[in-house]
Amino acid sequence: MPSLTVNGQIYNIEADPLTPVLWLIRDVVGLKGTKFGCGVGVCGACTALVNGVPQSTCNIVLADIGSASITTIEGLSADSSNPLQLAWIAQQVPQCGYCQSGQIMRATQLIAGGANPTDEEIDVVMNNICVCGTYSRIRAAIHEAAGA
Amino acid sequence: MGVGLPAQGHTRRRTQTEATIYTLTAWVSVGTDDSVTILCGSQEMGQGVFSGLAQIVGEELRVDWTQVQVGPAPVGAVYDNPLLGAQMTAGSSSVRGFFTPLLYAGATARQMLVEAGAKALGVAAKDCIASNGQVVDTATGASISFGAVAEAASKLKPPAHPKLYSTKTYVLIGQSVPRPELPAKVNGTTVYGADVVVPNMVFGAVVLCPTRGGTVASVGKAPYGAQVVNLGTGVAAVVSPGPNCTTWAAIEASKQIKVKWTIPSSAAQQTSSLILAEAETLLANGTGIVAQSVGNVAGAQAGAAKVLSFTYILPYLPHATLETPNCTANVTSTACEIWAPTQAPAAAQAQAAAITGLALDAVTVNCMQMGGGLGRKLETDFVTYAVMASKALGLPVQMVFSREQDFTQDQYRPMAVCGVTIGLNAAGAIVSWDFRNVSPSILYQRGLPQGQLDDQAVEGAVDLPYAFPNLLVDWVPSPATIPVGFWRSVGNSINAFAVESAIDETALATKTDPLAYRQALLAGDARALAVLNAAATLGGWGTAQHSGYARGLAYVESFGSLAAAVVQITSVSGVIQLVNVACAADCGLVINPNTAAQQIEGGIIQGLTSALWSQMNFTKGVAQTQNFDFFRMIRMADMPPIQVTLLQTPDVAIGGLGEVGVPLMAPAVANAWAALTGKRLRKLPLFPQA
Repeated sequence: MPSLTVNGQIYNIEADPLTPVLWLIRDVVGLKGTKFGCGVGVCGACTALVNGVPQSTCNIVLADIGSASITTIEGLSADSSNPLQLAWIAQQVPQCGYCQSGQIMRATQLIAGGANPTDEEIDVVMNNICVCGTYSRIRAAIHEAAGA
Repeated sequence: MGVGLPAQGHTRRRTQTEATIYTLTAWVSVGTDDSVTILCGSQEMGQGVFSGLAQIVGEELRVDWTQVQVGPAPVGAVYDNPLLGAQMTAGSSSVRGFFTPLLYAGATARQMLVEAGAKALGVAAKDCIASNGQVVDTATGASISFGAVAEAASKLKPPAHPKLYSTKTYVLIGQSVPRPELPAKVNGTTVYGADVVVPNMVFGAVVLCPTRGGTVASVGKAPYGAQVVNLGTGVAAVVSPGPNCTTWAAIEASKQIKVKWTIPSSAAQQTSSLILAEAETLLANGTGIVAQSVGNVAGAQAGAAKVLSFTYILPYLPHATLETPNCTANVTSTACEIWAPTQAPAAAQAQAAAITGLALDAVTVNCMQMGGGLGRKLETDFVTYAVMASKALGLPVQMVFSREQDFTQDQYRPMAVCGVTIGLNAAGAIVSWDFRNVSPSILYQRGLPQGQLDDQAVEGAVDLPYAFPNLLVDWVPSPATIPVGFWRSVGNSINAFAVESAIDETALATKTDPLAYRQALLAGDARALAVLNAAATLGGWGTAQHSGYARGLAYVESFGSLAAAVVQITSVSGVIQLVNVACAADCGLVINPNTAAQQIEGGIIQGLTSALWSQMNFTKGVAQTQNFDFFRMIRMADMPPIQVTLLQTPDVAIGGLGEVGVPLMAPAVANAWAALTGKRLRKLPLFPQA
């Protein structure tokens, strides 16, 4: 039986092998922090880490995921203590908040290994849509987290 | 701080920490653990209303903000927004409508706590005050916490005439206290509409008739063993319980249902180019419904030294909230419970009652956190479909719109054609202002009788801040039948594009600086001039800039607030680049400077996206854009720096801020582009090919 590894736990999955990982995370595993936005991999709301790399999960299907390890917003820290989460609060980033799980997961790539990204690097990586327009605060929060 | 549970309708409930919660009033409950739960009559959709409204209650209550929990109010007339006369979150009205009632709500609960606290301390209530969650005897300094007297306070009769503090003593209002709902928004635990899990729930997805106005003629089966529900205007696929019960399976099944549609004959006319051509005809020849008339426009125009005439064109716009419409419903023979991200919980309740035949009080509405509202979630269509499916199947159903259904089944911002004819005297001053808006009516589609003025259509066109001696504003309803609705700032974002572009064009035609021209028009209005000049200063108006850079200005009063913006742009290989946005706004009193600034920033971004790129076009009633891959939004790399300055004016009616940033952007960008290139863009989106 296919399985899915999410936040270190292995789940046996009986669903259609063409089911996108997003919906397995949400509706089978039951972790709701990863969001549906577009279903075609362009908005970034469903961003999670696949083997440590931020990716949209609405367009990766069960049949292709293999033994990859997935980390969702729930797995980023046990107590909201990841530097990105702390900075997101300090900068009061979210408005509606719906895109912010994806934004935070996307941003992990920028500060990994103590990196200190430039604005240009942030522009390239942070391509997720925020309809509320929190981009300038996201930018400030990434800089804050990188310096933490 | 945190997000609390809705009121339970009785005076006590137990929390996980074994504290007992006592309800003092409809708005305020206090726990024996000193927690204070404040209910919010407006729904949180990102605008910070959970902090804004709770701060107003908390101010008079003199709470310790760290102990405050905020939750959505249940459906009930007591929670109606007094400004709207309904339990709705709309029109940038939350603070405006609730400010005074919530001051009294806080004062009422405070006096009950003080009375109970004084008794516990063995002193007179007149010698005690409330401070930071404590009742304090001012003579001795002895104190007792709110939680310790919550039970006693809950048994007291609320005072008939609670007394308010002087505004000079405010400790919470005006502070950027942290938003109570944010911690859950950074760790994935916020429960938005489609995050709710109801026992035995199954997933459903809708496919509505692609031709707007069409209905189901006949329907076939769905794959995946899904059940099909006929919704009249479309169908839903609902997947059976089991290992393959996912929202994805429902969406896939819904796409594969074979449906024959009945298409109304009027659909042939519902093509964007035809709708626009008809509106342009009506602009020239239609009979207008007068919205505002001052003096004698025809006479003044006949005597004018110069007459300018401009036409501005705007497209339909989808809302594109990131959370698509959704609702979870559980209908039984005796009750209906719904979980919905809704700006209109009372309307959702009424709709569910009508579908199920149940009494209103048998319908429970759980208001979920919204992943954006923007006016889309004022509608009840998504509630309807979930309730119909649950009723038909006898199961709790979570019904979700795919993004394609969201884009193509919206109630769009109306398309519009606005004509402005301006008469100038020899000195270049405006002696007549003739403004016509042609657009389909939001309110006609909701029952307003034909022939009446739809005031939504002329928002931002009437009661202008500028003093024109002769003015005529009228509206001609377009007969187009594409569903239209309330889109953040409604008529303001349509009409402000025309008004503020026309003012700019007139200034340039008279060889006057656009700031100076507006200053002259606003002469004598100190508050307006302060806002205009603050934005000009913040945006560096008139100061040196790089070659190839230009600035554009707009000034708009909406929702009781005054706002102005300076947008600076440049062009790289003919493509616009946003360099900077500076905005000043005056809403009277600012409750929370941080959330106020956030709302203006957010309005600016939405205004920029829609001005630069957004449109929805129709071919024979079918929406032509289905998803974000063909609908460009501002993203990080497009994002200009934004500066916001908030002016405050004491002792004036409070204005709203949730929408005021939006209308400024289209004219400010168009004005900047004209300054940069000499080319005037009068049609939105400004850069449709981008």
